[in-house]
Amino acid sequence: MNKLGLLASVAASGLLLAMPAMAQPAADTIVVGLSADVTTFDPDNIASRDNANIARHIFGTLYTVSAEGKFEPSLAESLEVSEDGKTYTYTMKEGLTCHDGEPLTAEDVAYSFNRGKDPAGNFTGNTPGFIYSSIAFDKAEAVDDRHVKIMLGDKNLIAEGLLAEVYIHCKDSYEKMSPDQAATSPIGSGAYKLASWAKGSEVVLERVDPSAKAARIVWRIIPEASTRTAELIGGNVDLITNVAPDQLDAINASKVAKVQAIQGTRRMYVGFNMGEQFKTQPGGDAIQDPKVRRAMQYAIDVPAICKQLLNFECERATGLVNPPNDNKALKPYPYDPEMAEKLLDEAGWPRKDGGERFSIKLQGPRGRYLNDQNVILAIAQYLGDIGINVEPELMEWSSVYVPLIRERNAGPMFFLGTGGAKWSALYDMSDLSEVDAGTNYTRWSDPRWFDRWEDIKNAATEEDRRKIIDEMLTVFYEDGPWLLLYFQPDFYGVSNRIDFVARPDEEIFLHDVAVK
Amino acid sequence: MWTFIARRLLQSIVVLLGVTLISFIALQIGGDPTYLFVSERASQQEIEMVRHALGFDRPLYVQYLSYIGQVVRGDFGNSLSYRQPAMGLVLGALPATIELTVFALVFAMALAVPFGVFAALNRGTALDGGIITLAMFGQSVPNFWLGIMMILFFGLYLHWFPISGHVPFLQPLLQGDFVTAFKNLPRTLYYLVMPGIAVGFYSLSRNARLVRSSMLEVLNQDYVRTARSKGLTERAVVVHHALRNAWLPVITMVGLEFGFLLGGVVVIETVFSYPGLGRLVFNAVNQRDIPVVQSAVIVLAVIFVLLNLLVDLIYAKVDPRVKL
Repeated sequence: MNKLGLLASVAASGLLLAMPAMAQPAADTIVVGLSADVTTFDPDNIASRDNANIARHIFGTLYTVSAEGKFEPSLAESLEVSEDGKTYTYTMKEGLTCHDGEPLTAEDVAYSFNRGKDPAGNFTGNTPGFIYSSIAFDKAEAVDDRHVKIMLGDKNLIAEGLLAEVYIHCKDSYEKMSPDQAATSPIGSGAYKLASWAKGSEVVLERVDPSAKAARIVWRIIPEASTRTAELIGGNVDLITNVAPDQLDAINASKVAKVQAIQGTRRMYVGFNMGEQFKTQPGGDAIQDPKVRRAMQYAIDVPAICKQLLNFECERATGLVNPPNDNKALKPYPYDPEMAEKLLDEAGWPRKDGGERFSIKLQGPRGRYLNDQNVILAIAQYLGDIGINVEPELMEWSSVYVPLIRERNAGPMFFLGTGGAKWSALYDMSDLSEVDAGTNYTRWSDPRWFDRWEDIKNAATEEDRRKIIDEMLTVFYEDGPWLLLYFQPDFYGVSNRIDFVARPDEEIFLHDVAVK
Repeated sequence: MWTFIARRLLQSIVVLLGVTLISFIALQIGGDPTYLFVSERASQQEIEMVRHALGFDRPLYVQYLSYIGQVVRGDFGNSLSYRQPAMGLVLGALPATIELTVFALVFAMALAVPFGVFAALNRGTALDGGIITLAMFGQSVPNFWLGIMMILFFGLYLHWFPISGHVPFLQPLLQGDFVTAFKNLPRTLYYLVMPGIAVGFYSLSRNARLVRSSMLEVLNQDYVRTARSKGLTERAVVVHHALRNAWLPVITMVGLEFGFLLGGVVVIETVFSYPGLGRLVFNAVNQRDIPVVQSAVIVLAVIFVLLNLLVDLIYAKVDPRVKL
């Protein structure tokens, strides 16, 4: 026993002596802690935000969108849109190359666009799955070495922003790749190249473009929020995403990092489903009346929800469009329960003997959005105060709630957050591009909204178009299908080593971020 | 013995078919996974296209039989989210989990046996009470909480151990890169200390109590009394007579314990950002990545079958009363 103990002590001492110091990031390296795993680097299969954030460093795009929502040339130097709005001709910069040294020409750009549309590829990423269907992408053609034409099936007012999301790569390298190679060994055109990828653990990028500030970026997969916070405070990570609201104080109290809170572009709301099957359900009949929906707007103290449950000072949304493109004439609904009660009385839903007006089911996910469960319960409580008996029904996100939402069968009331953007009001409004759109989860069908899309398309000037947009947003505000809440805040933990500034669109682009 | 082994291996095929069918049905109960693979703004046409591309538009029995047909030909399918061979992903993540499980098992058993023996030999004393209390604590405390507390105390405040991550040893070893493997070994162990203890603490507690009760039972046997009356030293009585027989239930437990630990690493792998099989499967279940889940189920079932077989063979070796 004594010999064994001695041996164990010697082994343990030797082990500890052999240890390197804690893995502090190197002076020219930025380490990012992500909450979700990365699954692929195939440019046409990338779908998640975290995956896209890394891919954005590996692959260049024709244009980029700034944090303020402005378009800036990137691989392309200029863009010309045809008279009929169906052809976008980009002029490429000179001297571009891919990471394997192959020159990057207009032919490569055309190939990058056409590859995602090839049915043989079975691609399911954001490019073929969302962008191409949104803009009715037809095909891309190289005019010469520096000019490429992107052709659409129809004029589309948000195409410029969506085309800026397509990843560009070189034809020769990708034509030779197997799907497996394309997923694991990308050959990009961006500022960084993939140096290594330990699945489920970390992705290491190395600088290719000398103008990029950091020599290496390490993306570590740290799913557990408290572990991410510990790594940040411990000085092992420079930037973490999705900081839990209850950990903000711990980070701010540390001497090594601070929290950057920013109003994101994800629009959080409670939808009123006006589909046929809900008209006969308890409460489903009541919410058909715009007056009832408007009454509910007054019943919720949204700034208090933000402050108490999200640890964030927010201004209530006035519609489905992100600022600064929202209708500036509209003021957020105030918290006014008396007004809510008055409107409900007028609408023919007085309090009964027990004080209740009507019952209604409110469905929502658990653990998908920031403190979603408590937000849903708070909304139920506020509506309960004005006599509406809300029955919250919380569900597992991926297997139960997503199919329900996608089939537009959630309701009569449901809690949801949908992605938006800073660069166009029309992008945010396009969720409701037609009554039967898959993203019109409420099945709202007010002609004062849906009949105006043709007017928008045919507007002679930008001012005329803006006028129509504002009119539509007023209809949405007064009689719309959403109980308006807030734009979900994003919390980033940022070490004092780097000069990172958070963006509102959940995008992390570290090209210009330096280690101090 | 060879007949026994052959029979057990044949039985395992039925077990494998059973577990793949059960896990397949369990994943399908969760509903149509197509929505998890499309953008939130995808059109109905895009959704249908993806559903067809992933094969979810076929009847369930066709999907299952086609999968089994593939497996028989040695093709375990491609991961739906990684778009790479599913079995490759599972086997790629397995070494890290084996490292963690073995570390936890060695930690648990290396301490459980002496703790249990000392507690039994000092029954009713403060030492016995202390060990029992510690064991009760270990069986009561959730391993993720223990993990987070260890991160806070040993990782964040004392800076003794890394907060998260993993340095591979088995993976380079299996690839024949012995230099890297053994160069990594000290750091592999270093990174394993906290997650390994968090995973193994429950087993340590349970087995310490098991060894203690097993030892107490043996110490009351006639042959121990006989050994003492022959004038043997207490050490000889304990080591050569009592412990030899007290070991038997522990040997059975070790095999089962390995399986138990293998199942218990999921949460700890998440807490410590440890890139093992538990986390891969957890994500795959969330993503309805059926080929990955099925491959993992097959691999784990094979490990369980082999472990049980090994335990039976060892038991037959150490206990002459057992005939295979």
